[in-house]
Amino acid sequence: MGSGESPKVGVFVCHCGHNIAGTVNVEHVAELASEFPNVELSTHFMFMCSDSGQALIREKIEELGLNRVVVASCSPRMHEPTFRKVVEEAGLNRYCFEQVNLREHVSWCHMKEPEAATQKARDLVRMSVARASLLEPLEVKTVSVEPHALVVGGGVSGLRAALDIGDRGFRATLVERTGNLGGNLAKLSTLYPNNEPAKDVVDRMSLAAEASENVTILLNSEVTNFDGHIGNFEVTVKNNVTEEESEMKVGTVIVATGFDPFEPIGYYGYGDSPDIITLSALEEMKRDGTVLRPSTAQPPKNVAFISCVGSREEGVKGHEHCSRYCCTAMAKVAAELREEADEVLMLYDDIRTFGKGHEDVHRRARQEHVIFSKYNKKKKPAVKINDSGIMLKWNDVLSGENCEFRPDMLVLANAMVPPEGADEVAKIFSLTRSADGFFNEEHIKLAPLTTHTAGIMIAGAAQSAKSATDSTTQASGAAAKAVSLIARGEVEIESTVASVIDELCSACHTCVTACPYGATSIEATKGVEVARVTEAKCHGCGTCAAGCPSGAIVMRHSTDDQISSMIAALLSSAFVHGGGEK
Amino acid sequence: MTTAAVELKDWEPVIVAFCCNWCSYAGADLAGTSRIQYPPNVRIIRVNCTGRVDPDFVLDALDQGADGVLVSGCHPGDCHYTSGNLKMRARWALLETAIEGAGISPDRVRLQWASASEGQRFADGVKELTEKVRKAGPFRRKWT
Repeated sequence: MGSGESPKVGVFVCHCGHNIAGTVNVEHVAELASEFPNVELSTHFMFMCSDSGQALIREKIEELGLNRVVVASCSPRMHEPTFRKVVEEAGLNRYCFEQVNLREHVSWCHMKEPEAATQKARDLVRMSVARASLLEPLEVKTVSVEPHALVVGGGVSGLRAALDIGDRGFRATLVERTGNLGGNLAKLSTLYPNNEPAKDVVDRMSLAAEASENVTILLNSEVTNFDGHIGNFEVTVKNNVTEEESEMKVGTVIVATGFDPFEPIGYYGYGDSPDIITLSALEEMKRDGTVLRPSTAQPPKNVAFISCVGSREEGVKGHEHCSRYCCTAMAKVAAELREEADEVLMLYDDIRTFGKGHEDVHRRARQEHVIFSKYNKKKKPAVKINDSGIMLKWNDVLSGENCEFRPDMLVLANAMVPPEGADEVAKIFSLTRSADGFFNEEHIKLAPLTTHTAGIMIAGAAQSAKSATDSTTQASGAAAKAVSLIARGEVEIESTVASVIDELCSACHTCVTACPYGATSIEATKGVEVARVTEAKCHGCGTCAAGCPSGAIVMRHSTDDQISSMIAALLSSAFVHGGGEK
Repeated sequence: MTTAAVELKDWEPVIVAFCCNWCSYAGADLAGTSRIQYPPNVRIIRVNCTGRVDPDFVLDALDQGADGVLVSGCHPGDCHYTSGNLKMRARWALLETAIEGAGISPDRVRLQWASASEGQRFADGVKELTEKVRKAGPFRRKWT
């Protein structure tokens, strides 16, 4: 299909079972859409993403010679890749597809207003039909992939990922900020559920990584510069001890920068008494020998634990979600302390010993007569410190009783928070972050290991708080993603980049200052200065096009005309009433 | 009842929204997934980045009869393209001045930041703008 051919648009409105059709009158929308300009066919179907829905699109493209396809269904963030593939299978260019979001943006958020929702659906379809009519086929480009992966972070996740890539026969360079491998895992004593010393696990992985001819380990090092695109990234790594910088080319990156233990300042008297410590500090004590009360250097006799310190809290210092390690870790160490201590008390909000083998750990703590008491989340345990020590008062939710306990050591099960330097890492790799600061995956279910920056994967606690088991599982997954990219050898890149209409360019440099990536520059062609876009560097944000005062920049697949056509299609409809500004 | 009064009674604000693909469009998706209910007056146009939003788009929308315009992007510092949203913010200051200078109520336009995880924030922003625009009444340039 050439770009000169007149548009023949097919509109396919999806019921999504009851999800859209329960609120939006999809039959009516499909009927109205058949009257919109350039629409050759407008129809509706139960599930457009199903095999039969996809077959319907292909069939109609072939039967009616459709050259633009509009699917009105769910969010394009969900199924745009699916439908692009469908139109490609029927011989259309993938950029001749346009999706309307009738589910997330209409039916699900206007559930009680079916009429207004149907009107909104009609408008959105009209807007997309207008845009679709102006869509241009774009050349699908591929680039080669450098057979070398960068792994950022030498904790358990980074080690696992680097080893997996090395085992598959590809090169991996592991960059670790500190002088040691193992990260936070190396600070622990023994690991649940099978009591393996953390050191053994870390050593096994570190030794294997050091022995692997495919894995290069750079300690005391940080990534200072990062440029390029999927398949061909240029990385500068600086050794913070020698101040030496090295440069390398990699095809893909795994970010496994882990977490910092939450420092619970302002919680339960932390900092006011040396005997109030975090679970992470207790673990380090256990790793280094015996657990001693910091103030007396004697074994503690009465120990209390408090759960969810910084976890499951909205809008405060820690994070909103469950840290997914502390219940089991706390139950394990509480049971172990019972060998020496008279009383061990666990104050919990909920007990979530969810993983394989974790319930055994919980059961053992109960068998060892660790006292479990559910505290009131709205009225949290109160800690008072005076000359006679720590006094803990709380309301036991299950009995309704107000209780007291005088622990000689209080342990706070602290959350995991994004590590120091996470801001820098996010900037360097253009990663987006969730409200609590962890790096975002591309899609929580459909693409949980890739990020919004093509070619960059995340693994472990960098993505969210989690246990070592879950971290290594993710790391192996991310390594598989990296390896599949490298093994393919080439990768398709988005063709949605900016280009310059030379005749309109006045070489004013606005685009040069606007571009966040240095992709635009001014070059003299035949003695005349005009702007140039280095396509490999262009990420397609369109900031240059919006800034250009001469309209000389065409942002492909997001052109001025395409966007303006949507505005016009909406407002030229029956909406405009009289009135007038006061 | 006069025709104008009938029209006003039936009038529903039309709001054009420009949402960046990575934060606010995804935030609006999350609002839907979370079944957060908000006014159905907004029509979202997906752009890669708020940096893509040419001030002309905003003015064109108003010129063609939109009652309000929303631009919603990533929080400063969280832009998927590192700084496109900051470019928009810089333009916005000028745009607001121009809009006010033309005698258009600044209540009709809104620039907001809502991340992919802030469905509620996105919905609240739409609600607030819709209420303000409803209060300001139907918009049409005086000179047409």
